[in-house]
Amino acid sequence: MKTPPLLLFAALLFWGWLSDLLLVGAVMGALLEITRLTTFRWELDDTDFNRIWSFCVVLNLVLIGYVFTNNDAGGINGMFHGKTLATAANSGVLTAIRFLRWLPMTTFPFIFAQAFNERPSVPLTAVSLVLRWRRRHGDRAFAGRYLDISHSYFFVCLFSAGVHTNNGGQIYFWGLFVLLAWALWFVRSPRFGIIPWLLALSAMLAIGFGEMAGLNRAQGIIQNFNAQLISYFISQRTDPLQSMTSMGRIGLLKLSAKIVIRLEPRQPGDAPAYLREASYRNYATQKMTWFAGGGTKDFEPLTVEQDDTTWNLLPGKKAASRVNIACYLNGWSRELAAPEGVLPLPGGCARLENVPPYMILKANQNGAVLAAGRGLLMFDAAFGRGASLDSPPDVDTTNHYDLSVPTNEIPALQQVISEMQIPADANELERRRRIEQFFANHFTYSIWQGTDKLATPSTTPLTKFLLTSRSGHCEYFASATVLLLRQLHIPARYAVGYSVHEPRGSGFVVRERDAHAWCLAWNRTTKTWEDFDTTPGSWIKVEGARTAGEEWLADLKSWITFQFAKFRWRQANLQQYIFWSLIPVLVVLLYFILFRRRGKLRRDVKNKNLPGAPWPGLDSEFYQLEKKLAARGAPRQPGEPMADWLERALAEPLLNDLRSPVRELLRLHNAHRFDPSGLSAEKRQQLKLEVTACLEKISTADTAKKLR
Amino acid sequence: MTPANLAAARETYRRIAANIAKIIRGQDSATRHLLAAMAAGGHVLLEDYPGTGKTTLAKALAKSIDAQFKRLQFTPDLLPSDILGVSIFDQRDQQFHFHEGPVFTNILLADEINRASPRTQSALLEAMGEAQVSVEGERRNLPDLFFVIATENPVEFRGTYPLPEAQMDRFAMQFTLGYVSAEEEVAVLTAQEHHHPLDELKPAATLADVIALKRAVEDVRISHELKRYVVDLVSATRTAQGVQLGASPRASIALMKTAQAMALFEGFDFVTPEQIQKLAVPVIAHRLVLEPQARFSGITARGVVEEAVKKVKVPA
Repeated sequence: MKTPPLLLFAALLFWGWLSDLLLVGAVMGALLEITRLTTFRWELDDTDFNRIWSFCVVLNLVLIGYVFTNNDAGGINGMFHGKTLATAANSGVLTAIRFLRWLPMTTFPFIFAQAFNERPSVPLTAVSLVLRWRRRHGDRAFAGRYLDISHSYFFVCLFSAGVHTNNGGQIYFWGLFVLLAWALWFVRSPRFGIIPWLLALSAMLAIGFGEMAGLNRAQGIIQNFNAQLISYFISQRTDPLQSMTSMGRIGLLKLSAKIVIRLEPRQPGDAPAYLREASYRNYATQKMTWFAGGGTKDFEPLTVEQDDTTWNLLPGKKAASRVNIACYLNGWSRELAAPEGVLPLPGGCARLENVPPYMILKANQNGAVLAAGRGLLMFDAAFGRGASLDSPPDVDTTNHYDLSVPTNEIPALQQVISEMQIPADANELERRRRIEQFFANHFTYSIWQGTDKLATPSTTPLTKFLLTSRSGHCEYFASATVLLLRQLHIPARYAVGYSVHEPRGSGFVVRERDAHAWCLAWNRTTKTWEDFDTTPGSWIKVEGARTAGEEWLADLKSWITFQFAKFRWRQANLQQYIFWSLIPVLVVLLYFILFRRRGKLRRDVKNKNLPGAPWPGLDSEFYQLEKKLAARGAPRQPGEPMADWLERALAEPLLNDLRSPVRELLRLHNAHRFDPSGLSAEKRQQLKLEVTACLEKISTADTAKKLR
Repeated sequence: MTPANLAAARETYRRIAANIAKIIRGQDSATRHLLAAMAAGGHVLLEDYPGTGKTTLAKALAKSIDAQFKRLQFTPDLLPSDILGVSIFDQRDQQFHFHEGPVFTNILLADEINRASPRTQSALLEAMGEAQVSVEGERRNLPDLFFVIATENPVEFRGTYPLPEAQMDRFAMQFTLGYVSAEEEVAVLTAQEHHHPLDELKPAATLADVIALKRAVEDVRISHELKRYVVDLVSATRTAQGVQLGASPRASIALMKTAQAMALFEGFDFVTPEQIQKLAVPVIAHRLVLEPQARFSGITARGVVEEAVKKVKVPA
C-alpha cells in the first residue's frame, strides 16, 4: 500500500470513533496494517478482483435494501423498539446516512484483497462494468492498468467519518486536518523545505476554518431568516400558532400548482368545501399577523382508541360524511426538534380513522390538529355539520379574544359598516348577509399587490384595502371580514387551509395555490362555528389562470410519486417481507458472480458438441481401442493428438508387439477422420476388423500376464 | 491411391532435404520447417545467434534447387532502391533503363534485416506480401518462386530497428536453428577440414520441380474440422492472459498452408492434427504482442502458444 504506515489505521479509528464503531474500525485498521509485518500474500488475478468488487457491490445493495426497509418502516421501529417517531420519520435521511456511514465496512473486502495481494494494486477493469464489458469484447485499452486504491479508501474513511451525528463539527474538522496533514507529509515535494510546507498547510487550515465558520454562519442566517415567510412562500406549511399574512407586501403572490392534498370521498357529494389547517383569534395589526392566542402548551394530546388507528376527536358526535385524505406533513417543530405538521381537516371533523398506528396527535383550542412525522399521511376523516374541536367563543371572559378589534383599524371598519347601512335591528344572519353582499359588490380579487396598500405610519394595509384599493387576495378579505364581524358583535376567527374545488377521478386534488383564508363565524343559535367566506368566487379562476401549459406533466409526476408513496405507506409492514424476498435473488446473483467463469467454460464445451456440426468419422472403431488403452492408466489429455498419446500408451513392454499395427491403424483412423475424401468401403472394413483384432490381442496379453 | 503429383512432390522434397542434410547437420527439423514455408509460399524469419548456419542453410537450399540466390546485407544506410532496383539514364539511346535490384531472384537472404531503416524494411516486406514490386509507378512481378529468408540477431539491439508487429505478421514462420550437439559439431569440423562442402553441392531439383511442389501442397486435403481447429488455436491466443494483440487471420492461413506442406512431407495426402500442433509455435508465436506487464512476469509468446495447444481440444 502506498499510504504511509498506520495512516489507514488512524483513519479507520477516527471513522470508528465518530460512527460509534470504534472496535470495528480498530480491527479493520489492524488487518490492513498487519500486511506491513507479514510476508504472507495471495496471488489474485483480475478475475478474482472482479469477483471481489462485484461482491462489494452486492454487499452495498444488500445494505441499502436493509437500511431502507428497516428504517423506513418507521412504524415498525416505533412499535417494536419504542423509539420516538422523530427518529423514524427522518427515514430518508437516515437511510442515506447509515449507508454512507458504513461505506468503509462494505468496501473493506476490496481494500483487504489489495493489501494481501502479491501486487498491491487492483485492475482498473474491476471497478467499472463498462471497462469490464469492453475488455470482454476485445478492447484492450485498459487492460493491464492497475490502480492503488489505498488513498481512495483513506478518503472514503474520512468522508464516512463526516457522516456522523454524535459529535460536533469541530472534532471532525481537526481530526480531518491532522489526518490530511499526516498523509500530505509523506508526499510533500522535496523541492521545498519544511517551513514553506508548514506555511502552506497553515494557509489550508485557515481557509478550511474560514469556510467552516462561513458555512455555519450561512446556515444560521438561513435558519433565522424569517421562517414563516419561507414557510408561506416556499413550502406552504401552516404554523398553528400564528399566521403571518402577506398583506401590505409588494409583489405578485406566487403559489405553485403542486398537488399537496388528495381527497377521496366515501360517497359522492361528501367532499368538504374547505380543509382547515388552523384558525387564529388575535390580529396584531403592526405585524399583519394572526395569532392563535395560546402557546405551544395550548396543545393537548389527543387519545387514541383501543385499535390504535381511530381517534375520536368529538366523542358522541354523529358524522354523516366521510372522506379519505392524503396529505404531506412537512412542518418542523422547534420544541420537539422533530418533524410535524398540521392536518388539513374538514370543518366539524368528529373522528379520524385508519390513522397509522404510531401517530401522536395533539389539538389546540382553535381546532388545529398537529401530527408528528413527515411525508405522506393518509387517513379517513368523518365529519358533519355541528360541533367542532374549536373552543366556544370566549366572549364572556376577560380576554374577549373572539371579539377584539385592533383600535387603529376601528375607524376604517366603522366607515365601512356605515356604508353597508345595516339596520340596527338586523339579526346576525342578516348582518353576515350584508357583509357578504358588500364585499361582492365593491371588491375585486387580485393577487397583485401594488404600493397602494403599503403601510404608512397613519394607515394600515387593511384600512387601505377597505377604503381605497378595494382589491386584494383572500387574506385581506378574511382579515377584514373577521374584524367586521367582530365589530358587529359576532364572534369570529380567522381560518387558514385549502379550498377544495378541483375534481380528479372520483375524488379531488388540492394544489398549493388552492391555499385559502376565510372566516369562522359563531352562530349563536346553533352554537357552532360556521365557515364564512367573503372572497369573491372569482379567485379560483384567477389562481387557475396562471396555470402553465405543462401542468399535466407535473400532475403525472405527482401522481406517480403519490402512488409510490401510497404503496410504501400502505405496505409499511410488508417491507420487511420484501427485503427477505430479495435475499434469494441476491444469493442467486452472488452465485453467478462467483461461479460465472465455470459456467462459461461449460457453455463453451456445449457449443463445441453442437449437434449441428457432426464431424465425419466419429464412428471410428479406433475409439474403442483408445478407451481400452486409456483404461490401463494413460488417458489422453484434451490437447494431446492421438499419435503422441499412442507413443505414451504403448510404452508398456507388454504391448510391444502392438506398436506397429496400432500405428498402421492410426493412419487408417486419421484418414477416416481427417481426409475429406474419406476411406473406401474396403479400408473401412479393414479398420473395423483390425481394431477388433488389436482389442483381442490386448485382452489375451492381459490374461497371459494374470496367469503368469 | 496417392495422386501422382503428390508422390512426385514428396520425392522432390526428399531429394532437397537429403541434399541440404549433407551440408547442415543435425538440423532436420529446421530444414523441414524451412521447406514447408517455401512450399506453402511463405517466408521465413530466422532468429539466431551469429554463426549457427543461417546463411549456410539458405545457400544450401538455393544450391540444391538450382535457383537464383541473392544475399543482401541490411545496414542502416541501405535504401529501398538498393533492394528493388533503379532506373538509370542511358546516354547512348537517351532512355531510362531499369536495373533490377537483388529482390528479383528466387531465394533472397536478407541478413540482419533489423539493421536497416523501417523504410527499407517495408520495401522488402511489400515485395514479400504481394510478390510484386512497384518501381516508378510501374508494377513488376517477381519470379514464381520468390522465397525470403530473413535473419535477425536476438542479442544485439544497439543500432537496430526492430520489425513492427504488423511486419512480423508477414513472415509465415519464425524459428531458430540453435546449437547442434557436440557430436554434430565435430562432424561439421571434419566436413570442412579441407574445403567447404557447399562448393561441391549439386542441385537436387530444378526450379520447375519446386514450383510443382508448391502446386502439390495446394492439393493436400484438409477437413473442415481441422480448419476449425486451426481457427480455434489462433483465436485462443487472442484471449490468452498477458497478450495485448493476438494472432491475425493471416496466421490461420499460414498455419493451414504450412500444415498442408508438412503433411505432404510426412507422407500424408491430408492434414492431421499433429502437423498443426507441430507448426503452431513457429507460425503463431512471433505474431503475438505481449502486454508489458506480462513480459516482465515471465510470460513468453512461445509459452502462450504452447498453452493454447495444450488447452484447445484437439480433434482425434
